[in-house]
Amino acid sequence: MSVMLTKFESKSNRVKGLAFHPTQPLLAAALHNGSVQLWNYRMGVLVDRFEEHEGPVRAVAIHPSRALLATGGDDYKIKVWDIRPQNRRCLFTLHGHLDYVRTVQFHHEMPWILSASDDQTIRIWNSTSRQCIAVLTGHSHYVMSAQFHPKEDLIVSSSMDQTVRVWDISGLRKGSPNQGGPGGPSGHGPNNFETFDTFSTVKHVLEGHDRGVNFAMFHPTLPLIISAGDDRVIKIWRMSETRAWEVDSCRGHFNNVSSALFHPKHELIVSCGEDKTVRVWDLAKRTAIQTFRREQDRFWVLAAHPNLNLFAAGHDSGLIVFKLERERPAFSVFQDTLYYVRDKYVRSYDFNSGADMGLLSVRKFGSPYVPPRTLSFNPAERAVILTISSDNGIYELSNLPQQAQGEVKDSSVDGKKGTGQSAIFVARNRFAVLNKTTQLIEVRDLSNSVVKSIKPPVQTNEIFYGGTACLILSSPTAVVLYDIQQQKTIAEINSPPVKYVVWSNDSSLVALMSKHTITIANKNFSQHSLIHETIRIKSGAWDDSGVFIYSTLNHVKYCLAQGDHGVICTLDNPVYLTRVKGKTVHCLDRSARPRTITFDPTEYRFKLALLKNNYEEMLYIIKTSTLLGQSIIAYLQQKGFPEIALHFVQDTNTRFELAIECGNLDVAMETAKNINRPECWERLAQQALKQGNHKVVEKAYQQTKNFDKLSFLYLATGSKDKLSKMQKIADARGDPMSRFHNALYAGDVEGRISVLRDVGLHPLAYLTAKTNGLDEVAAEILEAAGLTEADVDDIPSFGASTLKPPPVITPTTDLIWPSLSTGENFFDKALVNGQLEGGIEPAYVNGDAAAAVNSALDAWAKEEEVHDDLNPEEGGWELDADGGEFQDAVTGEEAVVEVEEELGAGATPGPSEPELWIRNSPLAVDHVAAGSFETAMQLLNRQFGIVNFALLKPTFLSIYRSSHVYLSTYASMPPLKLHVRRNPSETSPSRVLPVAARSLASIRSELAEGYRFVSSNKLVEAQETFRSVLEALLLVVLSSDDEAKLWRETVTAAREYLLGVSIELERRRVVEAEPDNITRQLELAAYFTQCQLQPPHLQIALRSAITAFARANNQAHAARFAKRLLELKPDPKIVAQARQRIAAGDRNPRNAVEISYDEFSPFEICAATYTPIYKGSPSVHCPYIDAAYLPQFKGTLDPLSRLTEIGAAASGLPASW
Amino acid sequence: MDSTELYHTKQQFTLGAYKALTQQSLPDEASSDYIPSVLYKARSYIALGEPKSALEIVPEGTENVALKAVSSLARFVGASDSVESEAALEELRDLSVEIEGDDAEGSERDKDLVRVLAGTAFARAGEVEEALETLGSETEDLEGVALIVQIYLSINRPDLAKKQFDRSKRWAEDDLLLQLVESTIGLVTGKDNYSNTSSFYTEQLGNPSLTSPHLLTARGVTRILRGEIQEAKSDLEESLQQQKGDEEAEAAYVVSAGLGAVKKAEAEELWSKFAGQHPSHPLVQDVNEKAELFEQYSSAFIIPPAAATVSA
Repeated sequence: MSVMLTKFESKSNRVKGLAFHPTQPLLAAALHNGSVQLWNYRMGVLVDRFEEHEGPVRAVAIHPSRALLATGGDDYKIKVWDIRPQNRRCLFTLHGHLDYVRTVQFHHEMPWILSASDDQTIRIWNSTSRQCIAVLTGHSHYVMSAQFHPKEDLIVSSSMDQTVRVWDISGLRKGSPNQGGPGGPSGHGPNNFETFDTFSTVKHVLEGHDRGVNFAMFHPTLPLIISAGDDRVIKIWRMSETRAWEVDSCRGHFNNVSSALFHPKHELIVSCGEDKTVRVWDLAKRTAIQTFRREQDRFWVLAAHPNLNLFAAGHDSGLIVFKLERERPAFSVFQDTLYYVRDKYVRSYDFNSGADMGLLSVRKFGSPYVPPRTLSFNPAERAVILTISSDNGIYELSNLPQQAQGEVKDSSVDGKKGTGQSAIFVARNRFAVLNKTTQLIEVRDLSNSVVKSIKPPVQTNEIFYGGTACLILSSPTAVVLYDIQQQKTIAEINSPPVKYVVWSNDSSLVALMSKHTITIANKNFSQHSLIHETIRIKSGAWDDSGVFIYSTLNHVKYCLAQGDHGVICTLDNPVYLTRVKGKTVHCLDRSARPRTITFDPTEYRFKLALLKNNYEEMLYIIKTSTLLGQSIIAYLQQKGFPEIALHFVQDTNTRFELAIECGNLDVAMETAKNINRPECWERLAQQALKQGNHKVVEKAYQQTKNFDKLSFLYLATGSKDKLSKMQKIADARGDPMSRFHNALYAGDVEGRISVLRDVGLHPLAYLTAKTNGLDEVAAEILEAAGLTEADVDDIPSFGASTLKPPPVITPTTDLIWPSLSTGENFFDKALVNGQLEGGIEPAYVNGDAAAAVNSALDAWAKEEEVHDDLNPEEGGWELDADGGEFQDAVTGEEAVVEVEEELGAGATPGPSEPELWIRNSPLAVDHVAAGSFETAMQLLNRQFGIVNFALLKPTFLSIYRSSHVYLSTYASMPPLKLHVRRNPSETSPSRVLPVAARSLASIRSELAEGYRFVSSNKLVEAQETFRSVLEALLLVVLSSDDEAKLWRETVTAAREYLLGVSIELERRRVVEAEPDNITRQLELAAYFTQCQLQPPHLQIALRSAITAFARANNQAHAARFAKRLLELKPDPKIVAQARQRIAAGDRNPRNAVEISYDEFSPFEICAATYTPIYKGSPSVHCPYIDAAYLPQFKGTLDPLSRLTEIGAAASGLPASW
Repeated sequence: MDSTELYHTKQQFTLGAYKALTQQSLPDEASSDYIPSVLYKARSYIALGEPKSALEIVPEGTENVALKAVSSLARFVGASDSVESEAALEELRDLSVEIEGDDAEGSERDKDLVRVLAGTAFARAGEVEEALETLGSETEDLEGVALIVQIYLSINRPDLAKKQFDRSKRWAEDDLLLQLVESTIGLVTGKDNYSNTSSFYTEQLGNPSLTSPHLLTARGVTRILRGEIQEAKSDLEESLQQQKGDEEAEAAYVVSAGLGAVKKAEAEELWSKFAGQHPSHPLVQDVNEKAELFEQYSSAFIIPPAAATVSA
């Protein structure tokens, strides 16, 4: 136990009682000053205070499942409280004890409260009826504590009378003795206490302490009791059904021991005392493991969390909450596998299958009480390095087994150890170890020897993997990216001490996590962003899309590379994220068990899409998810994407605001109509004006009846007719000023004059008329004013007015001129047109087309199937004839002489790899790959009687050149010739073999191609293909009997097709060249049907034969073919035709032309003459493909394959596997 | 300790990023990095098969033995006939003798380089014994080791290469070149399914401070050897994308094509194109040689007369 990790501390009056909430991070503390505090120890805030007790409160308990708190104080009272914030109050008070109440406890299932008091009694209360239901007497001094057994009906109590007692309360459960209260209806009184004793009996009295006993409790699972006394001793007792006895004592406290607890999960004891220490003991060995000392404060009480690894201790000036060990499990993720440590076992967990298994025990690594701190995994070697903080920091390098075995091995067997606080793999065969005290980083190889030592440039507390040949060094104030090779700092980022480092899946980004900050940096630290959290950051993992998902004490959050972050979900308890895949977060919980959390990644996906301008994805998210709400709108607006926010908003006012902001006038107009308030129209007009959309401006002005501006707009757009309309409107409104304006704008002099006259401004009217050369009108005005020319001769004469509106050069009335670019918004388009379906979802396929494709595929599939069913009978081949003899011959001289040779100039060349290949294989193809064409040819000649090699030249060369590859590894040197092996895992020189350039499968697919040529009547191509197949089959690597069988089938099939196709080609030639030679034509057609083809092709052969024979009036033969056709179950249409043919044959069972064809006696077809060789007649065969020939062809070149000498001796395929 | 620039230069050179190296400008002539940089650049040119450019950047009339050796090597590589190449070899022989003398000028480093360059030339000329002798088996120059290993491998003595490597592990710190040497040996022996080599190249591809299509080619080749043809194809395609018409990558691509990465006809086409463009590539020369041998061997078999068929 190297550390006691303090999680929370508070300052207060002396703490005498403590209780954890079972599920929430709450802790109740009873104080000597009479107050009861309720702390949220995770957030570090005081949640509530209960202050009704008078005098010190010693006892406190929280109900295991309900929001209830019980307290007991020196005022003899037990109070029960509702602690829900909305109705927190004291529910009731239990009166009865006659002295201080020392402890209280809720029963785990019954509605009972147990209390211990200085009045020497233990009482059990029914919290429903609020009555005392039992009083346990027997102690002869203060009862300091009383605890229920976690499962059985037992109570253990401790007392100042120096005893620990175990009480049996099973009677209490059987017949709950009274609902009414002590003594039943007869009344209350001390005499009645006797009645209770029938329900509870003292089972054991444990004597052994020399002073008063302060605390005693049961072990959660074992029949053990622990007690702590003023004699400074902790005692462990064992009990059976009949008796209880002392097992051992733990000595070490040098003052009164206040409390001692069993650790709920581990074999540990935790105790505290007035000697100002908290101590941890090994339960099995009863030895002290650790002591935690405080300067000033005596410890009074200890509490353990029921589920978590968490303890609380109360002392003179407050309380502390602490952990005994780090809970963060050591883990490392590689591809789809998590490697982690649980209970000192290295385990692997497959994310996909969920398979979880133990691989390696590390029980003997470091202190048995301390879990390993970090784990670094090396996929190349399948090795792990663990570090542990005990023993001042050590590491161990061990290999993991390839598969899980029954017996998990212990790392101590072959692990390599050393001292160091931090150890990680930095390359496939190197790891780095940091020694904090000497400040030295050692790079070691897998045999644990130092290959390099580095003095880090900064005070380094921890090292992490930093990418190829780099380390990340964590110092108190910065993180440093450090190049190992070059021994220099590449970059440095200021940061609080970094505790964990997580690389993204593509290693382009790294998250550096410290207690409260996360720095996201790129791989050379040139760019980075910082996130600050107020709550402790626990762990993190990268999403595939480059989003960092992290967990704090109570949240799972996300963070984008540029620093945006937000909450994904809340957590009850901290988890340690290991991987994020899609909507699933994989994590380890506090007890290192793998868990998954599913969450909705929409929000951050959307934000990410926004950052990357991936509009399709955003649209898709908008359309498919329910991403709504004020926050996303605010986010979009804040990030400068009002146009996108627009699509989320239903509220008209907000829509209008957003539309104005992003300049979407259509939407703005629409919403303005709905809102219809002057200020809206005004803002719309302003925005539209900015964008130059004067039509919208016009509309807005019209709506607000803003005539002046409207007129001016018309002037500006040169819209004269509109201006004249405005004049009329102004007239109608009786607004002479507006009339004048409009007249002026429209250049309507008469109009102006008439306005001036109407309002009685005759002088102005007169002058206007005069200066515009309207003398007649001027005269009229004079007259109307009752004046003459002479009356106004004192007026100076003005020149002719040039005032008129500028002429319209470009009629912009109907134009929207260069408007502010709003950009062709992808969203507008897509959302308006509903293009989304087409864009994102796969396009719908035209039904017919799809059907056609399907049928085509069916046809294919059928063809393949049929082919595989085909199992042509075949025998007499000497393929099984063993090549063993031959093999022996070549393997005879295998032994490679191992001569220890000194390095130096005299080095003689060794055997090259091709030479090894030749030695190792009897297959011609391997000799070809090795470049030994001569031996390859000899082999082929011997095995298959091949003589005509010219045809094989391209195959030979192609195999040869595919088996060697060149790479220059040293400047200016000729490249190394490397040899491609087919068994790369094999390195023994006696077993290496060259790569198989062509596989049997690929040749079979070529065969299938030939079939397709046959189906589509491309017989010449088919013939070529079948020949090429036969050539390729000569040079193929076979590795098993099954493959050899398949190989033989393939050879036979290719031969039959080649023969059939050749016959059919010959028939066509005869039809062409000798149309009169009907006999030969019919014969060939008949022989074609005798080749062993697949049913679809045989149908073709039969139908062609039927046609030919029917035409030649050989009805009997035609009917026979038709019957054979029917056996193949062709299409209904063909069935009908075939039946007709059979009927015709029945009617007229004769053959007009006599041919040499007896279908009833088996025959082979001579592949040279295309004539039958009936069974029993002499024949010779091709040594390779086994085609039959008439004896006279012996010794000639096989015309079918063109490769072999007919009738030559051949040993057949060697079995080399 | 080398300066950062020089370190990078060295790293690039080691990992075959010659093209990038030749495009770098040289430091100031007064700088202590000047001569080493010139050397690397010149050697890069030679490695790229442009000895003329190498000769151009080597300052004339230099007294530095390494520079002299580099220009001799350039002349040797660029020699058009045997007289020229023999003359260049003679120069290198003289230089190798010169540096052995007690009063020889030049730093140890330069001398080592002279040996390496001379060794390279001798090895190219097929004088394996002389090359090994010049380099000496006790050298503590890593480049020398790399060259020795290469020579051992080329004469099919991976056992000796391994021994040399193991020996140098004792004194060479975990240098990049040493790792390269280890991975090269792995390429030939195929130990553990080429895993060491494969992870070496994968690791170097992830190195932030350097990119070289040569690394991609190398990994592609490793993948071919591992039987991962499709992956190899993608590596090589990427390499070719970065460096069009690179002979080495194309050669490897042809091999991957022949092993089923592309259709048969396409593979043939690739091959004939490659053979046409790079007639001097060892693969092409080798295959051509084999083709001739094929004719010779196949003529040993007597082809019987064709059977008189009906159609023929």
